Amino acid sequence: MFFFKRKKSSDLYLSDKPPLTGLGKIMLALSYIVLTAWALAIIWPLSQMVLSSFNGNQGKAISMAGTYVFSWDNFRYLFEKTYFLSWVKNTIIIALASALLTLLIVSFTGYAYSRYRFSGRKASLMTIMLIQSIPTFAGITAYYTMHNIFSSVLPFFSRQALLVFIYAGGGIAANTLILKNYIDSVSTELDDAARIDGCSNMEIYRLIIMPIARPMLAIIGLWSFIGPFMDYMLPKILLTNPQSYTLATGLFTLINDVRTMNQPAFAAGGLLTAVPIIILFISLQGQLISGLAQGSVKG
Amino acid sequence: MRYYPAQLTDDIGNLHPRKHQALAELAELGAQLETASPEQKPTLKARLATQERGLAQHPYTQKLEAFKRKAKTFETELKRKQAQWRQQSTHQDKRLAKLEAELKAAEQSAAFYEAYQELSYDAELAYLISQRKQVHLPAIIQQQLDLEKLLAEKEALKAQAEQQDKTKLQAEIAVYKKQRQETYQAKLSELKAKKREGQISSKALAAECKMAKLALKEDLALKELQDPVKGLEEQIRAIKHHLKRGIPEKYRVMEADISDLRRRTPVEVTRKSPRNFLWNFILPGLAQLANKQYIKALCFFLGSLFIAFAAIPYALGYGNYQGQGVAGLLSLAQGGRRVDRSIIFMIEGIIAIFLLILALAIYYFAIRDAYRVEKKQIQGIRPHNWFESKELLESRGFPYIVSSPALLVIIFIVLVPVVTTILLSFTNMDPKNQSKFAWAGLANYKVIALGQGVAGQAFWHILTWTVIWTLAATSLAILIGFILALLVNQDRIRGKKLWRTIYLLPWAVPAFITIMFFSVMLAPNGMLTELISGLAGQVVNVKNDTTLTRISLILLQGWLGSSYIFLLCTGILQSIPQDLYEAAEIDGAGAWKRVRHITIPLMLYQIAPLLVTQYTFNFNNYSIIALFNNGGPFVPSKYGNLAGSSDILISYIFKLTIENQYQALGAAITLIISLVLMFVSFLGFRKTKAFND
Repeated sequence: MFFFKRKKSSDLYLSDKPPLTGLGKIMLALSYIVLTAWALAIIWPLSQMVLSSFNGNQGKAISMAGTYVFSWDNFRYLFEKTYFLSWVKNTIIIALASALLTLLIVSFTGYAYSRYRFSGRKASLMTIMLIQSIPTFAGITAYYTMHNIFSSVLPFFSRQALLVFIYAGGGIAANTLILKNYIDSVSTELDDAARIDGCSNMEIYRLIIMPIARPMLAIIGLWSFIGPFMDYMLPKILLTNPQSYTLATGLFTLINDVRTMNQPAFAAGGLLTAVPIIILFISLQGQLISGLAQGSVKG
Repeated sequence: MRYYPAQLTDDIGNLHPRKHQALAELAELGAQLETASPEQKPTLKARLATQERGLAQHPYTQKLEAFKRKAKTFETELKRKQAQWRQQSTHQDKRLAKLEAELKAAEQSAAFYEAYQELSYDAELAYLISQRKQVHLPAIIQQQLDLEKLLAEKEALKAQAEQQDKTKLQAEIAVYKKQRQETYQAKLSELKAKKREGQISSKALAAECKMAKLALKEDLALKELQDPVKGLEEQIRAIKHHLKRGIPEKYRVMEADISDLRRRTPVEVTRKSPRNFLWNFILPGLAQLANKQYIKALCFFLGSLFIAFAAIPYALGYGNYQGQGVAGLLSLAQGGRRVDRSIIFMIEGIIAIFLLILALAIYYFAIRDAYRVEKKQIQGIRPHNWFESKELLESRGFPYIVSSPALLVIIFIVLVPVVTTILLSFTNMDPKNQSKFAWAGLANYKVIALGQGVAGQAFWHILTWTVIWTLAATSLAILIGFILALLVNQDRIRGKKLWRTIYLLPWAVPAFITIMFFSVMLAPNGMLTELISGLAGQVVNVKNDTTLTRISLILLQGWLGSSYIFLLCTGILQSIPQDLYEAAEIDGAGAWKRVRHITIPLMLYQIAPLLVTQYTFNFNNYSIIALFNNGGPFVPSKYGNLAGSSDILISYIFKLTIENQYQALGAAITLIISLVLMFVSFLGFRKTKAFND
């Protein structure tokens, strides 16, 4: 304890960095000012959304002009007067289904592209990758009609199901590439050892590769799950009935359609949608980034 | 090949003499003919021709035919007997009965074929196989019997053990368990005490607790096994597992051994060039049948079923939803019923073409497979039996098999729509020709290029703005993200985690929510509008002013996109080794020089490919344009009635296609920008390592 006391009273310079010069101090102060300014630029609009979602003293439009009255009215409106719950349900079902379908397809292709040298391997991946840089809705006229054709053969093939297939199909090439790179980093000695012990290809995949690739599979699954939450365009085109909307299209009806307009309720809905996703992102930021970057950075 | 080869080659590359004497003579004549002088050639050729014609009358051939007939009756008889033995077997177990019958059959066929070994390689192989079976099968049977005996013994022991009084033992185990639990608790409290005193960290505490718990579990499980019943149960489980998995495994080993024999023993055929594969032009699978690869033939017949009952009828127009198969692509429902729609005809035509491609692929592979098998057979290599084909399929075919679902999804979700779009761009599908449209050649491209008709001058204005938007918005986001990352990662900045969390928010909040909210705030009477108007001293209506809308869009995208770049750069900054900076500092480099010469080059090298995707993303960033101001404000004098002044190409296409039903024009524009995008992405991907190994 004696030591600490003495340290406090003395002017001894203890840091291993060189002392700051005058210019350095100014630069540091400037840095803090820029950082704070940007932080405010982020927090102010978001906080306005939070505040307005709890403000009961608003009309159909968001305004902070009147006195602030805390209330749950906007949330109540959201749950009782809109299809919010069915939007949530639709979005989660579509997101889950497309994540599962993506994982099912991609986990096999990623393994095959990483571990096997078959003819047409590189060319096929490149072709698909290039074709997929065509915007998804280029085929929208076709999707409409194809849905008509498919649903006449398979009545249960709804527009939501088509959405799921579009989401999953759209990500095959990129996700295959990401998973391939990840599996490439796993030593093939493990496979060889398993093969000597009598494992078939399928068993190697199930017993060796899958457990090791699980973190990357989780990230791919997570991204495929989040995608439908973020997308606005495809559901807007394909889904016609307000009850079958996803969150993005549903919430938009609260601000652009005069009949259903209720901007504070939109703020409330936005808050409810954003909070779980924010928590997810903050807690998993490292993994999510590495998953995104892996595709092309480490290559 | 003009002559029979003098020697046979097996699959490993070893040479074998011919056993078929007639063929051997032909081969010899062929060899003589090769080296013969021009005068001798005609006589030799004539001899060869007579010999070849008289192949069936050759004494060896007659002998061989006799053997084949005998072998055939023997085999059918053997098969009948084998079934009989299986039924008569004393063993309850079906597998054992089968194995025993197989062993008896092997003994008989060994006796039968032994005499004919010198006659033909087929006989030799049959003899070798039956001998090999006689080595393997008894061992397999013995193992199963042993295991069954052991199982019965253990089960009897278990029944006995269950009879015995176990109260004493159980009491002992219970006491042990209690004691062990107590030591475990003591250990835990000891660890906790250590933590309180600060001797170990909380992480170490958690790890130690986990270890202690594992040790407890293990000890308890071990003690449980002292109960003989429990121990025996474990043993019985192991034996059952061996019975279930071990015996088939051994059988597979035998089959692999036999396959080895097949690879080493050549085959002789009376053919000089492949002939059977021609059957596959009629129906895939027939040639495999002729090569006696029955299960393979069955697989190809399934493919033939697809060709005959799905691909071809669909292409001809049967079973279509509305269209006429491939023919529908030409007619596009012109002159059809009122309900017939051209677009359906077109898509069904495209689907038909993809089905036909699949069918052709099946044809191709069936013919190629048959041709190769036959060609090898003539050299002397035996065709694969099902066991071998299966093994090959599992190893070489594996990637194709597991990728096939992906292929199906890509064909229907990516390829068919893309081809449809390409074809649509050559038609005249517009509001007047919705249900029926016709081919229109390059008319749409002409309209765009010359700025005529519906597209007017709008296309070129929109293209200019799209390029400005893409470059400005993306570069702004990259710049902001990069500078923030540099600032936050300075040594002396405190609260790094807090800054990072705040800067992550624009990325984490779903973009559509933020865009919609900004749109609301910048609407007339919105909060931000009032704020800005207050500052400027006059009413500023962002959404009614083209320039202001565009600036707000770029700023908003800078706000949204910077987060992601920030996080990426942060990750890369942290991975740059610190000693580079230290070395630079010692050499006298200032802060700016260190950033300029170390950070920026290293960073750019790593994120350049990702930046390409950022630019293409903004090029196609439909949501922000549509949600912020829906492409407005509208300036009909310059943009016509279809597009607004902040529309980018993608939202323009959307308006053309979905809202105004100019599908053909939209498709043409889509095609143009897709080509550009593909080229840009290609430049981006080409450099990445993923494509280069």
